[in-house]
Amino acid sequence: MRRDWAIRKSQFFVLHRVFFMRVIDLELMSADADPTRLIGQFATIFASISLLFALPIILLGGGRMPMTARWTAEHFFIETTMTVVGLIAVLNWDSAFPDRRDVLVLAPLPVRASTLFLAKISALFAAPCLAIIAFNIFSGLVWPWLFISSSSAIDVLRVLPAYWITIFVAGGFILFAVLAVQGLAANLLPRQIFLRVSALLQAGALCLMLSVYFLEPSLESPAALTAPQNQRLLGWLPSYWFLGLFQQLNGSMHPALVPLARRAWIGLAVSAVGAGAALLLSYFRMLPKIVEQPDILRGARTVTWSPRFGNSLKSAITFFSLRALLRSRQHRMILSFYLGIGLAIVLGYVKPPVGGPGSAKTGASTAFLLASILMMILTILAIRVVASIPISLPANWIIRVTQVRPAHHYQRAVRFSWLALGVAPVLLIIAVSFLSAHPWQQVLGHLVTMLFLGILLVEICLYTFQKIPFTCSYLPGKANIHFAFWACLMFFIRLLREGANFESRMLNHLPTCILMILFLAIVAAGLRWLAEVRKSPADELLFEAEIAAEITVLKLT
Amino acid sequence: MLELRNIHKRYSSIPAVEAVSFTARAGEITGYLGANGSGKSTTMKMITGLIAPSSGQILFEGRPTAEDQMGFRQRMGYVPEEPHLYTHLSGMEYLVMVAQLRNMDARSASERIHGLLRLFGLQGDRDVSLSSYSKGMRQKILLSAALMHNPDLILLDEPFSGLDVGSSLILRSLIEELARRGKVVLFSSHELETVERICSHIVILHRGKIVADDSIERLRTLMALPTLEGIFSQLAVEQDSVAISREIADLIHA
Repeated sequence: MRRDWAIRKSQFFVLHRVFFMRVIDLELMSADADPTRLIGQFATIFASISLLFALPIILLGGGRMPMTARWTAEHFFIETTMTVVGLIAVLNWDSAFPDRRDVLVLAPLPVRASTLFLAKISALFAAPCLAIIAFNIFSGLVWPWLFISSSSAIDVLRVLPAYWITIFVAGGFILFAVLAVQGLAANLLPRQIFLRVSALLQAGALCLMLSVYFLEPSLESPAALTAPQNQRLLGWLPSYWFLGLFQQLNGSMHPALVPLARRAWIGLAVSAVGAGAALLLSYFRMLPKIVEQPDILRGARTVTWSPRFGNSLKSAITFFSLRALLRSRQHRMILSFYLGIGLAIVLGYVKPPVGGPGSAKTGASTAFLLASILMMILTILAIRVVASIPISLPANWIIRVTQVRPAHHYQRAVRFSWLALGVAPVLLIIAVSFLSAHPWQQVLGHLVTMLFLGILLVEICLYTFQKIPFTCSYLPGKANIHFAFWACLMFFIRLLREGANFESRMLNHLPTCILMILFLAIVAAGLRWLAEVRKSPADELLFEAEIAAEITVLKLT
Repeated sequence: MLELRNIHKRYSSIPAVEAVSFTARAGEITGYLGANGSGKSTTMKMITGLIAPSSGQILFEGRPTAEDQMGFRQRMGYVPEEPHLYTHLSGMEYLVMVAQLRNMDARSASERIHGLLRLFGLQGDRDVSLSSYSKGMRQKILLSAALMHNPDLILLDEPFSGLDVGSSLILRSLIEELARRGKVVLFSSHELETVERICSHIVILHRGKIVADDSIERLRTLMALPTLEGIFSQLAVEQDSVAISREIADLIHA
């Protein structure tokens, strides 16, 4: 009996580690990449953000905050933690439930279903828990002291547990909700349909979370929370429910928050029961279905549409990239993540202020110009980010052995594919949304400006990207492209607003409009010339993020 | 004619292939044999240009392949040991991509792709994702990708892996037919019976070095052994297979 328990414990830890590490797709990594280090890097990023939030309080100290400011801060931390957990849950989508690989590998082994189930659950919860702790490690120890409602000893003592319980419960709610939606879809829909719908559900959940985070109105005042017109909206915003819950646990409950706290408990219970039921059903109903699934799933016969873009190399690279973006869940999720945030920012700028005066035509025009500039920048940068992650590293041999043209031909084909997949769709969206509300001359001027901006951005991105998209190994932390992306976006967003104003003025007069377009064209041509000058004389394609060293480091220490 | 001259490959000073020299002639099937880890696949990858030799020369029709790697790749077809494919593509899409990368004429590529898919029995599954293909089906896609541009040099690394009996018989005849049509075929396999039946010339590799390079007939005569299995066991198998199998049985029985 005791031996049996020891075996199950050891099996549990082995499986837990395997399932936890599945968060990262190891096959994509460069040989030098270390998955444990990557998880550490993510935890460090979260902890750094936490330190950033905590530093002003540590350095300057903080006194008692007015109620509205306190609620705003409390809501911010709850909402951000929920979004972080939600994003991790969505990115972990495929590892939540047992898949064919689990069944085929583990079924012949003497592992109990309960051990497998518990290991899967613990691995599923480990990453969000780690993220909650890392994200609040400094801010969660400093800020709660500013949330004390009175100077009584009990209130002082309970603020910290109240904060941590709230963020864990709020994170748990989001995680359970994602699991429940996914699990119920898996159980209710036929397996083949679920496999197709699952990707849409995942992308939808991601966009929903990002949109709620960026577009959620600020209602952290007693007036806004009690306003009858806001009650319906509050019923759909879980972050406010957990703000109510925090007040309840903290002993600072305001009457306006009582229904929200109640809703938080109900929401938590419903999502937990839903997730639990979905997980149990999945293990009892889905496993046999997976085993019985035929080896070859015949796809529906589709019309093969493959127009030729320029030469055959351009067609090959463009279609390869398009199919990778559309069919690889991992790439689609990263692209959706970047585009989702971009869309939310764009909507935030374009959306007229609620209850504000109607926007004047010139104001709206500047907002649209800014939105389209942002859209163009985010789309190209998102493609650049996602293209650096390989789709199947061992399969890139075919590209190597079929290289019958010089490397710079491939570079041209990649340039073309980015223009076709990134710049062209954005231009189409701009044209459709602009034509109805603006004079055609301005639309034409803006479209040409955006075209050259797109070309310029593609040239900038290709300057450091001398590879074929999705085929080169990925070494996390080497390029730090993700961090550069967000740092640039946050820094330049004010600058871009000025740029949009400038463009709006230039578009009003034909000579200035031509001058602006000429300037962009010259800069783009200059960058292209620079790229041609610096192209590698070896004329070989690059497939490794890091060239193998002559001496192998054993890393024994 | 493919010629390897004194090829060496070292990984961080550990030799993988040492002083390998042999010639594979047009119209002839050259069998390239060796135990696991003997350096067969490394040699194949060096010929394709996937990895560079540490020293030595590879010549095709008298010209070093390194001088015009792109021209050489245009005339070479390669089936690797592991069937790694881009599984987000369907069989049809994969072959079209390979044809485009090889700069083949669109019309003739389309005709050949459809023909190969039909002859390999994959027409019905051409639009199915490669992730759903069985090992044998993937192998057929690899063979189609290697042959559709009518290469002069065909490198086959374990091409029978995963194929069913019918497909294996077709492939065996196909290899013989290609050789008859003047192609250079370098064929690596562990299936000694097949090698013995179709190869005219054998190169045996042991621990990165060539231990035999001759026709099967001459090897049989020289070594006074009736089968290729016997020749291979004597030259490239160090262990006593019966004793080891007995040890394994004893180990798991203990």
